[in-house]
Parts: sequence; C-alpha cells; structure tokens
Amino acid sequence: MRIEFFLLIAALLFAIGCVGVLIRRNAIVILMCIELMLNAVNLTFVAFAHENQSMTGQVFVFFVMTVAAAEAAVGLAIVIALFRRRLTTDVEDASLMRW
Amino acid sequence: MPVPLLVELIFVLVIFAVVQAYAPERTLLAGTVLGAGAAALLAVNYQALLSLEFWVGLIGFVAILSALLVVIHPNPMVSILFLIVNLFCIALFYLILQAQFLAAIQIIIYAGAIMVLFVFVVMLLNLKAEVGLRLTAAPQRWGAILLGTAFVALLFHAIRGRLDEAYIEAGMFDSAFGAARGLGGLLFSKYLFAFEAASLLLIAAMIGAVVLAKRKVR
Repeated sequence: MRIEFFLLIAALLFAIGCVGVLIRRNAIVILMCIELMLNAVNLTFVAFAHENQSMTGQVFVFFVMTVAAAEAAVGLAIVIALFRRRLTTDVEDASLMRW
Repeated sequence: MPVPLLVELIFVLVIFAVVQAYAPERTLLAGTVLGAGAAALLAVNYQALLSLEFWVGLIGFVAILSALLVVIHPNPMVSILFLIVNLFCIALFYLILQAQFLAAIQIIIYAGAIMVLFVFVVMLLNLKAEVGLRLTAAPQRWGAILLGTAFVALLFHAIRGRLDEAYIEAGMFDSAFGAARGLGGLLFSKYLFAFEAASLLLIAAMIGAVVLAKRKVR
C-alpha cells in the first residue's frame, strides 16, 4: 500500500471541504466543512509521520485538534449570538461589515 | 485482485442509488437483488478481504462519499451524522498508519465532544432542512467548484509518482510508534511551550464562547 494513496484521499477531502465553505450559506455547515479540511490536513500529517517514522507529525495533529476544538466552540457561540439577533444562521444575512 | 472487486462493489452501490432515485417503490426488491449480488462477488473473491488495498480503498470511498454528503445535504443534522462517519473513516486510517493513540483521541474528542457540540447547537436553534439548498450566488458557486477541481488536479499532479519508495508493509510494525508514551514524552519535553500555549488557547476559547453566547453582558 503506497503512502501516496492517503495523501490523495486527504487532498480530495480538503478540496471538498474548501468548496463546501465557498458554496454553502448555512454557518453551521460552513463550520463543519472547516472541520473537514482540518481533518484532511491531519491525515496528511499522520501519513508523513508514518513515512518518516517520526512522531513529530503526530504531535502536530494533537495541536491541530486543540485548535479545532477551540475554533468549534467560539464559532458555534458566534452562530448562537447571530441567531439570537437575526433569527437566521445564513451568512449572507450577516453582511453589515462586508463590502 | 482487490481493486477490481472494489470497483465492482462501487458499481453495485451506484446501481442501487439510481434505482432508489428513479423507482422508490422498488427499493426493497432492488436492495435484495443487489445485496445478493454483492455477497456473491465477495464470496467469489473472498481472498481480497485479506488485502490491505481492499480495505483502504473501501474506507477511502466511504470517507469521500460522506464528505460529499456533508457538503450537499440540505439538513444540517444529517450533515453532522455524515461528518461523524467521515471522522470514523479517518480514525481507521490513523490505525492503519500506526497512530493508535491519535485514532482513540479522534473518536473521543472529535466524534464524542466536538460533534456533540454541533448537535447541541442544531437542536438548540431548532434548524430544519433548508427548502431547496441555499447556496451562494452563481459566480462564486461555479468559481468555487471550478477552482476546487483545479486544486485537486494540481495536488494529484504534485503527489502522484513522487513517493515511489514509501510502502506500508504488514511486517514492519513497531508497537512503540504511535503509542501514548512516545507522544506524551515528546509533548512534555520538546514541545512543552507549545503545549502550554495550547492550554492558554483553550482557556481563551472557553471564556470567549461563554461571553459570546451569554444573553447580556453587564
């Protein structure tokens, strides 16, 4: 089994998440697509850690998971605050500070 | 021949999806016939079940399918459930790549904690399925899909054929690699500062989440 197969899967998952962030308007789905992208990057880290037989890549996955948890908590709090004021989770409706 | 078997199984699945889409009342019949067909395929090629390629291909296929469904499903709750399927697939990949501790962490923290947070928020806000999938404006949408495809093509071109020597063999397995001991040792010696910074980040995120979601700040 070649290691590049895992890299190709990770690349596809990253691109799917990236397109999802750009085409969806529901803020919760956008946050989920960000999780998808972070997971794809984690898979790449683990694959390269295995290839080089070095644990450093796995330590980085640990930190990426920490950042993902913090990002999900703050992001969902923002979604709740947005829903409380506008009664929607549509990001197109929260365009006050956008050009 | 593990890979042709995988292709045939995917073909069976696609036929089932087409039947489901065009003749919903025949689902039970089609499911029985196709399930018997898939079982027969597996019985004929039972040796493929022992190969790593077959399982990695199957898990990869499920991972990509569930990721696509996360993006295109109109109901946020269904999206969350498919994201959990995707996270499990990636945890299985971690196991294959000798990251046992990370696989456990992936299931406990991601599927167990973060996704439950998502489920809580969707239920709290009482979000229904979107009536017609709400997408961004046409130029941004088609531009995103086009650029996403180009990005995949670019990455495939960059990755393919560059790593000929890197193989995973069943024989090469060092049980200390990827275990909690080695990871913890690195985390508390070489990366101690980053570890403390991560704990600070978590506290900041916790305070931020409480302040943001509070009804009124006095």
